[in-house]
Amino acid sequence: MIVETGHFALVLAFALALVQFAVPLIGGRSGDARLMAVGGPAAIAGFALVVLSFAALTIAYVQSDFSVANVWENSHSLKPMLYKVTGVWGNHEGSMLLWVLILTFFGALVAWFSGNLPATLRANVLSIQGLIGAAFLLFILATSNPFARINPAPIEGRDLNPILQDIGLAVHPPLLYLGYVGFSVCFSFAVAALIEGRIDAAWARWVRPWTLAAWIFLTGGIAMGSYWAYYELGWGGWWFWDPVENASFLPWLSGTALLHSAIVMEKRSALKIWTLLLAILTFSLSLLGTFLVRSGVLTSVHAFATDPSRGLFILAILVFFIGGSLSLFALRASSLTQGGLFQPISREGALVLNNLFLTTATATVLIGTLYPLLVEAVTGDKISVGAPFFNMTFVPLVLPLLLAVPFGPLLAWKRGDLGGVAQRLFAAAGGALLAVMIALFLVDGTGVLAAFGIGLAVWLMLGAMTDLALKAGIGNVGARLAVRRFVGLPRSVFGTALAHFGLGITTLGIVAVTSLEVEEIAVMRPGDSLSAAGYTLRFEEISPYKGPNYTEDQGRFVYFDAAGRRIGEIVSSKRLYTARQMPTTEAGIATRGFSQLYVSLGDPTADGGVVVRVWWKPLVLLIWLGGVVMMAGGTVSLLDRRLRVGAPAPRRERAARPVEAAAE
Amino acid sequence: MLFWIVAALLTLLACLAILVPVVRARGASGLDTDHDLEVYQDQLAELDRDVGRGVIGRTEAEQARAEIGRRILRVAGPDSGTAPARSSQMGRIVATLAVLAVPLASWGIYAVTGSPNLPGQPLQARLDANPADSSIEELVARAEGHLAANPEDGRGWDVLAPIYYRMGRYNDAVVAYRSAIRLQGSSVTRELGLGEAIAANAGGTITTEAQAALERALVLEPQNPQAQFMLATAMAQEGKSAEASHAWRSMLAGLPADSPWRGAVEQSLARLGEQPAIPGPSADDVDAAALMSDKDRAQMIEDMVAGLDQRLRENPQDAEGWQRLVQSYVVLGRLEDARDALQRGLDALGRPSQPAASLETFAFERGVTLGEQAE
Repeated sequence: MIVETGHFALVLAFALALVQFAVPLIGGRSGDARLMAVGGPAAIAGFALVVLSFAALTIAYVQSDFSVANVWENSHSLKPMLYKVTGVWGNHEGSMLLWVLILTFFGALVAWFSGNLPATLRANVLSIQGLIGAAFLLFILATSNPFARINPAPIEGRDLNPILQDIGLAVHPPLLYLGYVGFSVCFSFAVAALIEGRIDAAWARWVRPWTLAAWIFLTGGIAMGSYWAYYELGWGGWWFWDPVENASFLPWLSGTALLHSAIVMEKRSALKIWTLLLAILTFSLSLLGTFLVRSGVLTSVHAFATDPSRGLFILAILVFFIGGSLSLFALRASSLTQGGLFQPISREGALVLNNLFLTTATATVLIGTLYPLLVEAVTGDKISVGAPFFNMTFVPLVLPLLLAVPFGPLLAWKRGDLGGVAQRLFAAAGGALLAVMIALFLVDGTGVLAAFGIGLAVWLMLGAMTDLALKAGIGNVGARLAVRRFVGLPRSVFGTALAHFGLGITTLGIVAVTSLEVEEIAVMRPGDSLSAAGYTLRFEEISPYKGPNYTEDQGRFVYFDAAGRRIGEIVSSKRLYTARQMPTTEAGIATRGFSQLYVSLGDPTADGGVVVRVWWKPLVLLIWLGGVVMMAGGTVSLLDRRLRVGAPAPRRERAARPVEAAAE
Repeated sequence: MLFWIVAALLTLLACLAILVPVVRARGASGLDTDHDLEVYQDQLAELDRDVGRGVIGRTEAEQARAEIGRRILRVAGPDSGTAPARSSQMGRIVATLAVLAVPLASWGIYAVTGSPNLPGQPLQARLDANPADSSIEELVARAEGHLAANPEDGRGWDVLAPIYYRMGRYNDAVVAYRSAIRLQGSSVTRELGLGEAIAANAGGTITTEAQAALERALVLEPQNPQAQFMLATAMAQEGKSAEASHAWRSMLAGLPADSPWRGAVEQSLARLGEQPAIPGPSADDVDAAALMSDKDRAQMIEDMVAGLDQRLRENPQDAEGWQRLVQSYVVLGRLEDARDALQRGLDALGRPSQPAASLETFAFERGVTLGEQAE
């Protein structure tokens, strides 16, 4: 009963999405307010139906109802309750349902908060949201129905892929999808503006917070995914330029560009057409990511199942939305009016520079991701582009951008004074130089590049602080006035500074790990010791352990500091999930400050030893901490009162959510 | 029945979501330009704040103010506002069609994709049901629940093991037979069952583990035909045709005339004459190698390794291939080449990556490392 109700609700949501697409659009064209008014309630009702459907599937998982094929394929009665719930989206069908759930959630939010939008804009935006929803609901119903049944029902399920049985599955996909799908709102706004042939002043006010919200979630999703891969896959890497990673990184890059160009548009009504194009491109890249990951074109832990009909279907959706929106753009863009004027050296100019670099970087990553796929499709050869390509292309593109970041917020609007800004950044530059010196002379064994990287990171962080200090007038005015001015600064200024500071933190983490990492590998028997980066690791014993649905051999290590004091214990294990007979490596990680000691067990050798790999990863946690700080910056910016003009009060509720997510 | 009522209610609500706004909406909405004016006024106010903080120069602020002013004038211009909207004949038709489309489309699609008559089957409810109504799978699950609570119940494992085997759950059968042997002691039936289950789990290959179980059965009952037969088959699988043939022949001699095993043994003997028992580095090659002189054999192995090496040069994205190559060089005692292969493999697979890391570990276990210069 519950399962079938969920199924029916999904079908009903599809029918309603079609209405949500067609009726407001017709209303908008004919100027019929009654028809335009349908969009909002339809979007909210559609969201309620998808929630019902999602809840029904979750109940089926919790109750181990193996008469549902999807539950049978991906669950097991002995699985811990947390993984029964997260297993709902740990598979193709369920993850598409989550995708649509979040899409309709954003649709409902637009409907709920858009009472003060011009009626035709509102109708068109909701209509496009409805169209996207209908396309993906049809995809689910036609090719990936999570409610397909089995009769008679098997008595035990096949269990979830063990790599996914982790708290990461509870956080990473929902965050990532909130990011991916959040950009659909920007897309809908862009297409709605193109359909109408004009951009309202409220347009930019609306698009920026949505972009910001999506960007916050996407940042969190990528950071979480990277950390998950780092501790779960057991080889100590945190980013591999894997196509699946790139698929999430691409919309992040163009979303970051969109975020910055939306500022110009909002404040100065300039760059309208460019912003529109970026909004379309960003969501297109999100769709491309969904296609690459979901179609089975790429084999990875994300490609839960491969089925050519699904790939074709998503490809059709992709072509329809990207092709359709770009054609509309080509037809209509020339009729849109251009906005404010500015000098090349100005805040606007700096943001354009930012956009140039970011979009070029996006294009680079896109080529590196798609080229091997195209070659394979055309010639059948498997080639790998991999890290060297990105290190040679992406990194040199990003370095000048990072160098320029502190200048941007200090430049005045319309016409800035580069010399003056450079002077004001003198202290930050001095600090960065000092950091380079310290790195070169005090820390042993670092190369020039590492020192330069550390200097760059310090430059970014000090630059962000300089921005705040200057705007508060520290040094120019009395201390009390400075404090008052500091507190009174607009939240968006804090947001900018925090986000740029976070970028510096991440940079520092990346540079430290890539250049200062220490790696040791040895065959160890109980009682053996191994030294790495001033720590001594003693192998105590290997002992069997039985978890709820796995068995494992736990290797116990004790580690000491250079003076020989015992600090703590590390447990690293090799697990076997019995239902799928699949082994996994559970790395043992000890955190010291922001650095980590990472221990991974290899195979046992014939003579009773075991291969142990140990990494010392200096400042590795900063990589993800920087991401969290960036999210915090975005959230602070989202709370700025300015954004509530033309989109009033209720915004606060939604903006509070990223903080919770970040806290996880 | 309840399901249909719920479905009907949901459909009704969905239709209302369309109907209510159509009926309640005012004929005309406020002018779109109001929103624009609000935004522009706020931009002006913000400009003043920016001037106060010195984020924009005074001249530029004046220009910006003029730009915003022009926009306000454009908005307030005579023909920019949209005409008051009104409800038309066509609007009513569209709304009616939409309200009708929702039940038609949803019930139509659900009729094709749904299974309205199949009740939900939560696992616990199924296990609580009357055993007489249960399927074999449900009975097994019940027994599993019992054994999970009382893992030392040897009789339970004894009963469950052959059922697992018949259900094709060979791995569970192996575990069950092992538990039964541990708790109830060894017996011919249990050892035979274990041997069979291990072999079935290995896809029919009678592994050393399976052979050990069969041999234990033979100790208990030296003339057991099944154990004898399977052990001979194991020899055939290993390519020891002569030994297998010998074992089967002596088995035939010992079997009574009416034994059902005779047919199987004769068939196996006949098959032995025709085809090699194991695939892969084909039996012919191996036979050929056996006939060759040591020098020729070494040459053949060198050729095979060189071939592998060449193949990896052309297609380096083969993590397993690199492991085989390193292994081959180690076996041949060519450590320098092994190290070179490791280096090339790591370069090709790209560090840091999982394949590269496992290749490194693999090589390390065989005593091949890159040495100091790589760090």
